[in-house]
Amino acid sequence: MAAKDVRRGENLQVMPELAGKYLTFVLGEEEYGIFILQVREIIGIMEITSVPHTPPYVKGVINLRGRVIPVIDLRLKFAMAAREYDDRTCIIVVEVQGREGTIMVGMLVDSVSEVVNVSGTEVEPPPVFGTKFGSSDNILGMAKINNEVKILLDTYKVIGEGVVEHFEKK
Amino acid sequence: MVKGVKKTSDILDEMALKVLMIEPGDLSVVGELLELVEQLVGISSKEVEVGPVLAEMGSSFNAALEKIIMGELKDSAENFGFLGRCISQIQEIVRKNQAEAKDIKIFNDNLAAVGFRVGSDLPGGGDVAKEGEASLSKPAGGKSAIADVPDFLQDKELLAGFIEETFEHLESIEVNILDLEHSPDDEEIINNIFRPFHTIKGVSGFLNLKLINELAHTTENLLDDVRNGKRAMDSDVIDVVLSVGDFLRSMVQNIKDVLEKGAEYYQEFDISEYVTLVRTLQEGGSPVRSTAVKTVPPAPQQVLPLGDDEADDEVDEANEDDFVEEQVLASTVKAVVGPADGSRLSTSKVFAGADQSEAPAGPISRNRLGASIKVDIEKLDGLVNAVGELVIMQTMVQQNPLVSKLADPKLTKDFSQLSRITSELQKTAMAMRMVPIRQTFQKMIRLVRDLSKKSGKLVDLVMIGEETEIDRNMVDSIYDPLVHMIRNSVDHGVQVPAEREAVGKSPTGTVKLSAYQKGGYIVIEIEDDGQGLNTEKVRQKAIERGLIKEDDHLTDKELNNLVFLPGFSTADKITDVSGRGVGMDVVKKAVEKLRGKVEVISQPGEGSQCVIRLPLTLAIIDGIIVRVGAERYIIPTIAIQESIRPTPNFYNTVHGKGETLTIRNRLVPIIRLNEVFGVVAEYEDPFEAIVVVVEYEGRQRALMVDELLGKQEVVIKSLGGYMKDIKGVAGGTILGDGRVGLILDLAGLIAVSESSVPVEEKEEEVITGNKD
Repeated sequence: MAAKDVRRGENLQVMPELAGKYLTFVLGEEEYGIFILQVREIIGIMEITSVPHTPPYVKGVINLRGRVIPVIDLRLKFAMAAREYDDRTCIIVVEVQGREGTIMVGMLVDSVSEVVNVSGTEVEPPPVFGTKFGSSDNILGMAKINNEVKILLDTYKVIGEGVVEHFEKK
Repeated sequence: MVKGVKKTSDILDEMALKVLMIEPGDLSVVGELLELVEQLVGISSKEVEVGPVLAEMGSSFNAALEKIIMGELKDSAENFGFLGRCISQIQEIVRKNQAEAKDIKIFNDNLAAVGFRVGSDLPGGGDVAKEGEASLSKPAGGKSAIADVPDFLQDKELLAGFIEETFEHLESIEVNILDLEHSPDDEEIINNIFRPFHTIKGVSGFLNLKLINELAHTTENLLDDVRNGKRAMDSDVIDVVLSVGDFLRSMVQNIKDVLEKGAEYYQEFDISEYVTLVRTLQEGGSPVRSTAVKTVPPAPQQVLPLGDDEADDEVDEANEDDFVEEQVLASTVKAVVGPADGSRLSTSKVFAGADQSEAPAGPISRNRLGASIKVDIEKLDGLVNAVGELVIMQTMVQQNPLVSKLADPKLTKDFSQLSRITSELQKTAMAMRMVPIRQTFQKMIRLVRDLSKKSGKLVDLVMIGEETEIDRNMVDSIYDPLVHMIRNSVDHGVQVPAEREAVGKSPTGTVKLSAYQKGGYIVIEIEDDGQGLNTEKVRQKAIERGLIKEDDHLTDKELNNLVFLPGFSTADKITDVSGRGVGMDVVKKAVEKLRGKVEVISQPGEGSQCVIRLPLTLAIIDGIIVRVGAERYIIPTIAIQESIRPTPNFYNTVHGKGETLTIRNRLVPIIRLNEVFGVVAEYEDPFEAIVVVVEYEGRQRALMVDELLGKQEVVIKSLGGYMKDIKGVAGGTILGDGRVGLILDLAGLIAVSESSVPVEEKEEEVITGNKD
């Protein structure tokens, strides 16, 4: 599976295996990308029911056509300043393979930009910042397209079961 | 198979259940047990205080199990009994969270009883773990074996289908063969056994599962002889076919493991003994089983080359393709849908509900089944979701201010027609999840047969109401508790024939298994006419364990239900109520997970009856919607006693913090939902708010909310694996306006609110909690 290959490639210097189509979105001044095949749909902001005893970045749950799915705020997840939601705010619904089947999660982002084609030569491994910036674990690589840098995220690690373990420790 | 990280106690509970399930010769369960022990050793290091002791105990246990698998120790029921005690001992230590020397001694004594000597069988304690793990990590041993595996892994989808079908086939074989014991000359039944073997042979050959193919083929030949009248269907044949069926099941289970977890789980099975056994029978000999069957770790695979006649068979197969197809379909149908005619079963007398006429004549009516198709459960859930959404959308359209302003009689009529259709659709979608309990019941026939043979008792199993439908998702979870209860009834309830005659009962005992619907519940009863519980002994034991006091006055019923308390029947002394040393609390826990209740009613000397009450479906609950600030929550109606607006003269505080209300002369602690859930409530003053008095396991609590919004049947939806186990929240549901509402989990809620409550109070409540 392409998604899996993408994950394994983390530590290589050249990252041709990260080539493919990415959906890009904006958080503050930064632009991020996630692998397009993991995106299920994009919906506008809607009413979110908050769930108690969850970390602050878990905004709650929404009704996605009869399915209850959790929504996380990516700004809060990446420890960026919170921001009022407006009509450009979107929920990107992603689907990844978890230990117990597929997990569907909504990610709140400032706005969705476009779908870009990333070729392998444009991707560099994630920079190492040291611990004071937190870990760059959930970054697959940095894509340079038209002089812009897009941060390619590892969707699984961003929303994946690391979060579940976090809940359990609480 | 095992998901996520588990707590030690969970693993122990599971181990306790497994050890109950083990039948001598059933090595697949031993394998599962091994896996659990491994996990236990793995995580016990985190349990700081008792970790090292647990790890050591686990390793010894592990080594003993391996010896059983290797055939060095006997896999007899007694030995498993001792192993059960070992598990109880571990549970005890975990419960106390300290390892006392006497507990370890009991543990070691029990292991010694199995024939395993701690320390002497294994050089040096430290090596134990390593040795165990080393041989576990590659169960099949040699690399050559693993290299062979991908042979059949090429088409995973086909293989998955084969696995599922084979399990169904094996089940139908078992049911039919037990049937045969009562009417050995019924050709139709023989055919019903022959065909699944034929199908298994065909498909396994196609998938290159040589060992399974070989075994099924040999057995099929034997059955063919029986079918053609060359050999009589006697109990020898029945026994052999049953054990072949079991062996095939463990082989297929292993393939399933390989498919799910990877090739390193591949295990070699030595089928030669069975093949010889079957061939001897076919040639007219009598079966002499040399030793207990065991898996052979290192030996090279003994694949018997497909000879010429096998090749011919393959050709035949091609011609019979249609035939095979048909059989697959037929048995699938059988598995999915309950027959309309209530087929009669054997070892037992089965009454199909009200229809208590004579058994239907002849084989024709036996397997006449309604047509059905098999549907992926995910698609079904998808349908249910979509229909639920449809209903909501319809209300939203109807309530749209613009639409409701149109006072058009035609529109009103059309809307009511539409609602009728949607609610019909919803009902049908829900009904699709329901299956008859028949299949689960039928598995008990075999259990009772084996148990009674082993213990030398005569037991009749009577089944009533097997067509009662239960939620598909409940079927698997109810199986284990049911096995436990039946085992208790046969092992400890029903006496041996001589004893029965001495007290003037018929030598054959009866175990009655019945299911019916009552109110919003499915009731399953397990009743035996044995000796009943020894209430006085239960009382003594409860006092001994400090569960009740000498001067506590409890009714017999309350006393009997003490057996469901954790750690109760772990006692080694009460032989007539204790099972294999593992408590009935596992049954209670399993039933409660399904939001059900279990209780035992017993008449000394007359027998005992165990009643399990389960909700009709796991999917829907009746709830009251309450509002706290801007949030809405659903409280399960079943737990609600009343709702009131508190008045100052019934309100008290403890240390200015803990709040209680006096309700009908009982002090009921108040739980402020807004505090537990961290939301802002409209009313901070309890005299403006409303409290909903709920009861859970005998504990009363007053939940403080802002407003009651109404009563509604809601469809429970999981918040997803992502948000499982949030304290106080059982799940979510979609409310009338399309938003998500959270369903409260009272157990969790009480636990959260109590987290700072002194321990004494809690302990007391455990006991009173079981009075109801």
